[in-house]
Amino acid sequence: MIGLLVRLGLAAVWLVSGAIKVSDLNQTYIAVQAYDLLPSGVSSVVAGAIPFLELALGVLLLAGLGTRIAALVSALVLLAFIGAVAQSWARGLTIDCGCFGGGGQVAAGETKYPQEIARDIGFLLLAGWLLVRPRGILSLDGWLTVREPETVDTQGRT
Amino acid sequence: MGGAQRNARKKRQARQAGGSPAVAAARRTGDRKKLVIGAAVVVVLLAAVIGGVVFYNNNKNATEGKDIKAAVPSTSQQATGTSAPPAYQVARADGVVIVGDDTAKVTLDVYEDFLCPACGAFEAANGADIEKHVEAGTVQVRYHMLPMLNESSDPPGYSMDSANAGLCAADAGMFPGYHKSLFKDQPEEGGRGWDREQLVKLGNLIGISSADFKACVTSGKYDSLVQGNFDEVKKTTYLQQDVGGGKKGFGTPTIAVGEKVVDTAKSNWLDKLIASAD
Repeated sequence: MIGLLVRLGLAAVWLVSGAIKVSDLNQTYIAVQAYDLLPSGVSSVVAGAIPFLELALGVLLLAGLGTRIAALVSALVLLAFIGAVAQSWARGLTIDCGCFGGGGQVAAGETKYPQEIARDIGFLLLAGWLLVRPRGILSLDGWLTVREPETVDTQGRT
Repeated sequence: MGGAQRNARKKRQARQAGGSPAVAAARRTGDRKKLVIGAAVVVVLLAAVIGGVVFYNNNKNATEGKDIKAAVPSTSQQATGTSAPPAYQVARADGVVIVGDDTAKVTLDVYEDFLCPACGAFEAANGADIEKHVEAGTVQVRYHMLPMLNESSDPPGYSMDSANAGLCAADAGMFPGYHKSLFKDQPEEGGRGWDREQLVKLGNLIGISSADFKACVTSGKYDSLVQGNFDEVKKTTYLQQDVGGGKKGFGTPTIAVGEKVVDTAKSNWLDKLIASAD
């Protein structure tokens, strides 16, 4: 049951953040540029890839298909996000993370780096849980890999 | 019991536990299924990334292969249907464009970036009013076009290209229409912007035919002038406004009269300025 909640929770995070980013891709580009990490050509690719990757992860987690791989990719993406926010903080940039839409430069007093990192660590914990225990009820994984012959083997054991 | 015997017994136990043909077959099927699911998931994720990048590129290039829509500034020009230079003064003084007569009662310093959405909103709200007063000779505007958001187009550089092109248009005496057109048909921040060819084409559309203009736009003739202007403005104390957190900073649009920033939030700000100058 907990597994299901964790999976649906992380799915919701990705679906919401992905959908907001897809709805304003130009804003997503501004958000990526603001991190001041990548040359503009690469920012462009990242701004195109991230929103749709988030949506795909959300759909996979919602369906419970390939949960362990989705959790692994989620964890990697979240680690990259945390790293990106942390470096902005360390370098004294004044940006919004653009985690759920928005992003770009903000006024010096309006940065929220600790909250943003804490939130991402929370999401990372969800991904970590699913990485260790990907199986849960109401998942395509469970449904597709049911081992019917195994329930009764030749010695009558289950 | 020796080690070898123990190992042998373990092997036997292992065979008994999982070694029955049915279980082994089931496990093989399960592994194969897992492999297929894994492969399918990887394909889905890759498709999302590749599809996303392709979609993104089509999306941001909305301005590609189009002409910037020409907007004609003054009513007199619309009446005659020709694109003659405006009747009032249009001149370039280094990186600043001066529009309107020197005898005007109010001189506005307008600091803008052609890419900045807030500047577009300012122009939409006040452009016509300012134009009316410039024509009437009551207001002179000093336009400072700045590359504030130079990194915010993809590819970067639209802010600078457009600011430079604005100065080129001022040389040709056609800044008002050029300025108006770029704000009316403003590209979205984060998108492609207009390229230099399109900026040249806009000049042609509003009636600039000189070869100098084309050379000026495509060579980025005034880029260093614009940059120098911007560096100066960022250091100018009275142009800095509260940006929160007790810090001050420069932003576009900023409107100033004399050495004082004007609050343009109220709709009658310009009328009040003119009235108080009487």
